[in-house]
Amino acid sequence: MRSYTKIFALLLTVITFTNCSTPKIASLQSADIYRIDSTITQDSSIVNYYRPFKEKMEQEMNRVIGHTTNSLTKSRSEAEFTAGNFFVDAMLAIGQRIDPTAQISLATKGGIRSEVDKGPITVGNIFELMPFENAISILELSGQDINTLLHFIAKTGGQPIGGMTMKIKDQQPFDVMIQGQPFDINKTYKLVTYDYLANGGDYVEGLTSPLKRVDTGIIVRNGLIDYIEQLTKEGKSINTTLDGRVKIIK
Amino acid sequence: MEELKSLNRRSFLRNLGVLGGTLAVSQLPQFVQAKSSKEVKITILHSNDVHSRIEPFPMDGSRFQGLGGIARRSTLIKQIRQSERNVLLLDAGDMFQGTPYFNMFDGEVELSLMSQLKYDAGTFGNHEFDNGIAGILKHFDKATFPFLTSNYDFSQTALAGKTKDYVIFEKERIKIGVFGLCIDVEGLVDKNNHAGMRYLDPITVANKIVPTLKGKHKCDIVICLSHLGYSYKEGKVSDLRVAAATKDIDLIIGGHTHTYLDKPTEVKNAAGKITLVNQAAHGGAVLGRIDFILNSKTKEKRIAYNNYILNNDIA
Repeated sequence: MRSYTKIFALLLTVITFTNCSTPKIASLQSADIYRIDSTITQDSSIVNYYRPFKEKMEQEMNRVIGHTTNSLTKSRSEAEFTAGNFFVDAMLAIGQRIDPTAQISLATKGGIRSEVDKGPITVGNIFELMPFENAISILELSGQDINTLLHFIAKTGGQPIGGMTMKIKDQQPFDVMIQGQPFDINKTYKLVTYDYLANGGDYVEGLTSPLKRVDTGIIVRNGLIDYIEQLTKEGKSINTTLDGRVKIIK
Repeated sequence: MEELKSLNRRSFLRNLGVLGGTLAVSQLPQFVQAKSSKEVKITILHSNDVHSRIEPFPMDGSRFQGLGGIARRSTLIKQIRQSERNVLLLDAGDMFQGTPYFNMFDGEVELSLMSQLKYDAGTFGNHEFDNGIAGILKHFDKATFPFLTSNYDFSQTALAGKTKDYVIFEKERIKIGVFGLCIDVEGLVDKNNHAGMRYLDPITVANKIVPTLKGKHKCDIVICLSHLGYSYKEGKVSDLRVAAATKDIDLIIGGHTHTYLDKPTEVKNAAGKITLVNQAAHGGAVLGRIDFILNSKTKEKRIAYNNYILNNDIA
């Protein structure tokens, strides 16, 4: 059993209340932080209770579900990054299993929470990448709304997108290709994202008045794990690269 | 329990003595001990936003790295219970979500452990709804303590009758009324996850319940367990607003905003008296403590407090 020093950050104060109509309240005494050098150990009965859960959890977190040939890294300043590209490509594939006509996918730089080193991918890696309970949503959007979204992506220096490519100059989008076809503002498009963003989270613009919205209930994290396991079954590993899907032209 | 033998009551009191010696506050020994047989001390311990943090925070450079852990919290609470006669242990919500313990075991570990720590009451935070009302019910029987959700109307849901508006504890003839105010989950929780649940205005509800606790039930101390949040820049209802718009609440134990207070905030309430608002950060890194010392004769009520940080520095 490890032993721990107990440190109380602590302050003590006395306030006196009386039940008279005008209570006298002594002012707060000095508020300092005191360290107390004694040990506080873990309650063994509590540790014994959760140990089997911990072991089961660690076993699951350490379970290898696939491999990546490149490190999946993230960057807030670059127009694209491999962790983002992996994430949206996986989301598009997950969405297309529900609706094969889904064309594009979107995440945000801030929503991708960690990186994955090249080599084996564990369940724990995916928990770190996507700790939230968000679920996949598929939105049918007007060309106008897609245009709004493209401008949002452009002015924020690029966001993770799948199924499309675009260039940005002076914070304006151009040369936008969706599934290899030029973007047409008069068409409608199906976009795979997750509920938090579909509800306007992360200040994303253009998503909140879709022509149609399907909330699949598939937790993004579970979808990612299934996606990777499926690739592994097919004998494939993840080989996401920077493919120039978002380019900033200086 | 071996841990308590190693850290017995004497050493605990000695530590308090060291503390008293260091403190330039001469009153310390007086409020650490109830003064006479006429005085009764009620010790309130509280947590909030523990977020499935069963083990201490990982050593990852984050603000609370190495802090917390429910096994340490248990030891500390057991120590306090050994030296104090009248302890209430309360939680202000968001027990769930934040580590894979929740994602894998759906709340079983959190509720079982809170029961083993002998929590006296809790309330619901928004994250309790992460697996829907059915998710709350999945391991609800593991909780041996009541949940106070005074401003949630669950009557049209599967939770009907399973939570309480308030509960009254009696310790050495001192009555402590506790009720719970929960946050408006609109926009925070997927609507499918709270279908049928009605949110009622917290201040309206407080102004209905507190007079009942004070008048009908003659409570000496009134405590509000809240998951509304400490305060907001915009006009949203918060603990500070509830404190100012009500009277006769002695203490609001808050959550949601993960606010780290090194001392409780004093708010002038609607009767011109003081309502205390306290919150204990998040993740179980801090255990809040408020002591009420009541003199049954003079009706004088004194208060002392500690916010304990649970630290893992190896001795």
